[in-house]
Amino acid sequence: MWYAGASQGNGAAYLLCFVLAGLALVSVVHAWTNLRGITIRAESIPPVFAGEDLAVPIVVSAQQGSHFALRILAYPGITSATIAELGVSRPQRAELRLPVLRRGCFRELPVRLRSSFPLGFFTARQILLLRQTFHVYPAPHGALPLPRALTPTRQPHSGTRVEGDDYGGVRAWQPGESQRHIDWKAAARGQPLLTKQWTGEVDEILRFDWQTLAALDTEARLSQLAKWVVLAERGPAAYELRLPGKTLPAARGTPHYHACLRALAEFTEIVEGEAG
Amino acid sequence: MSVWTRPRLTSVIETTPLVGIVIGLVLGAIPLAPRLAGWVLGLFLVCCVARLVMNRPASRLPSLSVKMVLFALGVGGVGLTYGSMLGIDPGLSILLVLVSLKLIEANGERDFHVLALLGYFLALCDLFFSQDLLAWLYVALILVLLTATLVRFHRGADAGSYRRSTILAVTLLAQALPLVVLLFLFFPRVYGGFRFQFSQSLLGTGGMSDRLSPGSVSSLALSEQIAFRADFPDGSIPPMSSMYWRGGVLWRGEGLTWVAGPRLNQERRMGQLGGPGVRQRISLQPHGARWLFALDRPASEVRGATYQPGGYLQSRRTITSQFRYEVVSRPDNRETTLPPDQRLEAQRPPSVVSPRVEALVDEWKNQHAEPRERVEAALHFFRRERFSYTLSPGTYQDANALDTFLFERREGFCEHYAAAFATLMRLAGLPSRVIIGYHGGEFNALGRYVIVRQSDAHAWCEVWIKDSGWQRIDPTDMIAPERISSGLASYLESRAAQADPNAPQRSITAAGWLELQREMQRDARLLWDSINYQWDLRVLNFDEETQRSFLFSLGLGNVSWPEIVIWVGVVIALLLAVLALWMRRSRRGGDEVGHAYARFCQALERGGLRREQWEGPQHFGERAATRFAAQAEVIRQITSLYIQLRYGLTAPAPDSLVRAVRQLPRLTPPSRNPE
Repeated sequence: MWYAGASQGNGAAYLLCFVLAGLALVSVVHAWTNLRGITIRAESIPPVFAGEDLAVPIVVSAQQGSHFALRILAYPGITSATIAELGVSRPQRAELRLPVLRRGCFRELPVRLRSSFPLGFFTARQILLLRQTFHVYPAPHGALPLPRALTPTRQPHSGTRVEGDDYGGVRAWQPGESQRHIDWKAAARGQPLLTKQWTGEVDEILRFDWQTLAALDTEARLSQLAKWVVLAERGPAAYELRLPGKTLPAARGTPHYHACLRALAEFTEIVEGEAG
Repeated sequence: MSVWTRPRLTSVIETTPLVGIVIGLVLGAIPLAPRLAGWVLGLFLVCCVARLVMNRPASRLPSLSVKMVLFALGVGGVGLTYGSMLGIDPGLSILLVLVSLKLIEANGERDFHVLALLGYFLALCDLFFSQDLLAWLYVALILVLLTATLVRFHRGADAGSYRRSTILAVTLLAQALPLVVLLFLFFPRVYGGFRFQFSQSLLGTGGMSDRLSPGSVSSLALSEQIAFRADFPDGSIPPMSSMYWRGGVLWRGEGLTWVAGPRLNQERRMGQLGGPGVRQRISLQPHGARWLFALDRPASEVRGATYQPGGYLQSRRTITSQFRYEVVSRPDNRETTLPPDQRLEAQRPPSVVSPRVEALVDEWKNQHAEPRERVEAALHFFRRERFSYTLSPGTYQDANALDTFLFERREGFCEHYAAAFATLMRLAGLPSRVIIGYHGGEFNALGRYVIVRQSDAHAWCEVWIKDSGWQRIDPTDMIAPERISSGLASYLESRAAQADPNAPQRSITAAGWLELQREMQRDARLLWDSINYQWDLRVLNFDEETQRSFLFSLGLGNVSWPEIVIWVGVVIALLLAVLALWMRRSRRGGDEVGHAYARFCQALERGGLRREQWEGPQHFGERAATRFAAQAEVIRQITSLYIQLRYGLTAPAPDSLVRAVRQLPRLTPPSRNPE
């Protein structure tokens, strides 16, 4: 456009070019200001297995002014969150999804904040670190069969079990417990949610030991252990996880399940070295 | 081949910004319409409508194959219509074909940006055809619309009203204004060295031609288009009737048809002119040729122009944009010798002379020996015989045109009289030539300048008289003296009034009212024209030369361009920084209470106590009061004020909170570890 104005010596065309140039420059300032003072916090991130999509609930808030057309995406995100307008006292919730491939325990997550408001000539970008601890469990993989159950000692292992042979009454349902054991009939009668309990003796314990998988490399071992944990949680037996430097005694139930998977996610080679 | 089988997409562009961009594109295309092939314009409009229809929820965008076929047809069609892809008109047609195709395929952010840029580009193209203020205001309208549309588009789904976007667009433009002024004044203008230049076909405004044949001037006579404007910096404005604007000299004549003739040797100049100098500043509208006009006769050099034999100026390059120049003219001619080549040309008689014409001239020759007397005799002939001055003299057959004109029809326009007179003078043995240019103009008392329009185009004659040089003879003056003294428009008007038999019956008041109305219209027109003239002067004519003298007047005359560019960059950066700061401050306005409390929290944080995300003001206030026991009172006061202001039924003045926060002394982290 400048060339056209210059080659024709056309003052009016020059003026138009300068107006557009001025507009573009001013829009840069506006784009920057549009991103200033925005904070993004992550709410608690539910754990996932490696290879699945991590869903990150976020809260976006502004310290001052109004902000428009914000686009937030985790890297490498698959969905971006778009916020049309953000005001000072109106924080907004959104969810980011991103595929995670590596297991581990992470303490922060970089997200990109961008906006090409107001004109689109220029896109302001900012990288923010969300401080939030979350776990990515090793992908449950592995072809090895479950180890054979050990020590039928006939000793009650952990008192009350969630599952057993004999009905042992009910107690109040707590969030996190399997919905399968809710006394739905009672619930249908209008009672609060109750969990049916069974008492019984532990028949068998599955022991998942790091040391037995020496033929595999570290990640494959972890994946195999994760697979066993997942399978065992579905089955009736209690299970025990033995890692170098850390042992989770035999138990069952969601907290134990997650504790095992967290231990697998956090596992580091250094521990292995010390143990070996 | 998956490209071909790709499913057709539904539109993701929202309808509101799409309508905005379509309107912007149509507005941009309207001024170009006369230069486009009709079917291209049709295709464009169809595409505009089609794209809007495609934005209905269930519709899909056209498939790739449809687009490819349309592209091939469009470009091929332009090629067939014009026979070539090069040149302005085919270029514009192709541009519009591409805009049309882009429009129907546009989907998504990037495409939308391309459309907006195409809209801006169409607006730029409009400026190549018309550069006056009105055209620029029109372009500014497109500019605001497109910018608002971009804002609206980027605001996303629930964008609110278009008005909000327009306000922001205007704000952006207003904030860009200082930068625009800065760039306009200081950004180096370059001229020349560009290979790509529009030819005269771009403007096609007509104007003078270097050939005077019956009808060549009268075709201009009804055009109200402005040829140039001139002001007189010294304040001496010659009378209208003697304002002969010299544009060119025609040497070769054949009856009623005159042409410029061969190149003649340079003549000695300027020194031969005398009398009081009249300085003029002329701003010439682009006319696509090389004419430069000046009062009879130019006596000073003009930048970028040559002084032609015959005493007129000619631009070195084609004038395709506003051109402003200053020239001094002197009315008196003191030439005493006619260069031989000029004499030869000026005496060359027409090849065909009818017996009647020959007889007429012989009579003058026999009766008068003195050249002046022969001139008088010829003028007397025009006066005596019943010649009439008319805009529609009909056509004269070339071979016998002079004879028919002089003895049979006797109807003509200034070009007929000038040509006939010059030819007769040659036959009578006097060297003569025809001068073309403009005569008179309209004086704008408001801006103190003269507007010369195409309708002021004129042709007159010069005759060489021994010892007194070239003398201007205007035979039209003999036929229609009022034409010379009052200008064409009023002359025609007065004639029409005479011809109108109803005129006297009109009541006096009605006539007075009409007169007043006409007067007001005229004043409004002149006011608008003087604004336009200022625009021409300040904006359109701000070129390399003006810029240099502007820099000189600022004392920056010998600063090099790279330095100026660097400084412009620095100042722009500063202006942007100021803007950024100002926006930060102005954004803070509004929530006075929130900001005061935020300052309070910041102060405590500096003191080592941080408010947790989940923490309410009361809890935090208590924690702070325990930690900073010395300031506990102030802290409790601030907290309670804040809670009252935010949640209380009777809110105290926000000022009290601001003042309380100010009372808070600077807090330092306690030296011992609080843990």
